[in-house]
Amino acid sequence: MRFGFVALAAVLMLAPLIAGGFLLYSLSLCLANALAVLSVSVLVRYGGEVSIGHGFFVAVGAYTVAIMEHQLGLSVLAGAPVAVVLGGIAGFVFAFPSRRLSGIYFAVATMALALALPEILIGFEKITGGFEGLYIALDLIPGVSKAVQRYYVDLAVLGLACLALAQFRHSRQGMALLMARAQPRAAEAMGITISWARISIFTLSAALASLAGALLGFSSSTVSPNSFTFWTGVFLLVGSVVSLNGLSLPAALVGGAFITLVPTYLAQAGDWVPILYGIALIAVTLIANAGDLRRFLPGGRR
Amino acid sequence: MSGAAAIVRDLPPLLWSGTVSGCLYGVGALGLVMVFKSSRVVNFSHGNLACLGAFVVYGLSSGTLLSLSWESAVALALGIVAAVSASSYAAIAPIVFKSDLASTIVTLGVGLILQGAVQLVFGADIVNLDLPVPRFGLSLAGIRVTSYDLAVLATTLIVVGGLFVIIERTKIGVAFRAVSTNPFACEVCGLNLRVVHLFSWLAGAVLGLVAALLIVPTTFLSSTTVPSFMLTAFTAAVVGGFSSLPGAAIGGILIGIATNLFSFYVSPEFMNSFLLAVILLTLNFFPNGLLERAVGGRV
Repeated sequence: MRFGFVALAAVLMLAPLIAGGFLLYSLSLCLANALAVLSVSVLVRYGGEVSIGHGFFVAVGAYTVAIMEHQLGLSVLAGAPVAVVLGGIAGFVFAFPSRRLSGIYFAVATMALALALPEILIGFEKITGGFEGLYIALDLIPGVSKAVQRYYVDLAVLGLACLALAQFRHSRQGMALLMARAQPRAAEAMGITISWARISIFTLSAALASLAGALLGFSSSTVSPNSFTFWTGVFLLVGSVVSLNGLSLPAALVGGAFITLVPTYLAQAGDWVPILYGIALIAVTLIANAGDLRRFLPGGRR
Repeated sequence: MSGAAAIVRDLPPLLWSGTVSGCLYGVGALGLVMVFKSSRVVNFSHGNLACLGAFVVYGLSSGTLLSLSWESAVALALGIVAAVSASSYAAIAPIVFKSDLASTIVTLGVGLILQGAVQLVFGADIVNLDLPVPRFGLSLAGIRVTSYDLAVLATTLIVVGGLFVIIERTKIGVAFRAVSTNPFACEVCGLNLRVVHLFSWLAGAVLGLVAALLIVPTTFLSSTTVPSFMLTAFTAAVVGGFSSLPGAAIGGILIGIATNLFSFYVSPEFMNSFLLAVILLTLNFFPNGLLERAVGGRV
């Protein structure tokens, strides 16, 4: 286990020596998407909620970085923290109304959020650049080649996020949230307010998604309504389900790579991508939830 | 003064056309609520399935695939939609009693597959699909009533009335009401929950197709219009309380009028944001739907 982790870290650290050009660019996007997938998984794991609207918070982060560069001339170093705060605020505002309801109403509300995103991006074109979007050109570390610094910045942030989540799992707050999900009544009796647990986990998840968006904008150097559609949030959920909602670095990488590399390298198969994603979503969900599959075999029922 | 006169002049037609499209949102929402009440699953493939059905009608009646009459194309589309709906229920059948969220994710997967299928077969085309009704219009007290409006109202009445009769009078309808009240007791009494689930999924698919076929003449048909129309149906279902059939119908009409007023007086570009705001406000102030008190949360 430990050896596997060291090997994975070494491969990730050394990848830019071998990969170059377009592959390195795609790998940076994989890392940024992995963080976005992680934000959806956090919500599923700790909150027991399904969101198909996380594309909204990713867009908040990406556009924050782009707008701060255009209006104030600041790089992603200043943009990313602001993105985290704004994403958290947006998540809080969104989660507050549905704090007392079951996850199903919540999923419907995130669908509306996903559908509202494109028209908001296009509608406020004075700030967001409308259909054309905005470019992000400023470097974080001057003097290092763009492709390399994008890769390492994304890798560092993703690694830190995974470490922080591993810490969070054993913290008082993390335990409280897990308890609120698994045993709501017991948690209430222990003094944990369920509605606040729901709001805080969604706020955390949205802030994480927004940070991922900041990285995504930085690594793709452009933001536009084309990159943040209704489907962005659905695909993030696909990535999260494919990674079995795991919160570890390898799980996040699997999810991020699935939703980044499949559309990139199957570009000529365009319309097959949603079909493939749909099949993956159904297959993984069924296998993960069906429990012991032997009971479907004749004579296997005990 | 002229402002008041303008409102008096504009309002009746806006209310009328809002009611007409609201009937369709209501029919779409009824499909969602039927599925939700029996199997506790929010069917995210509802819009994509209705879109597929409408495209099948277009493909079979326009000559793209075949050139059948409109009626036989609709009959075939109903068959296809029912078959797809039954198979998507079959897909969630193993987990439907275990986890409603996992089942909801599976319906998203079905929706993705249907979306991809529509794009594969019909491309990203934007097409017109009209109803085969004679065109005429008449003016009633400053409101222009067209043949389309009357067709929508008549179909809605027939469909909703038929659904009401089935739920109130037939054996499967009684079973449906029983299952939506207490599935466990039904199982104890020996009722087959799967049959009831299947009934509601089939009914939902038919309602979705009817709503899609009736809404398409006012806009156009593409792989995105029907799913985004269905967002409005989702909003109607939330406003109505998601587990109340009359609530869905009334919520549909309320939403139809509200969206019409919003797009006329404020901005048609921010329609989805308006729906998002309606959903969030409803969830905050009326978690069980606006009509919980007025109609009661039952069938």
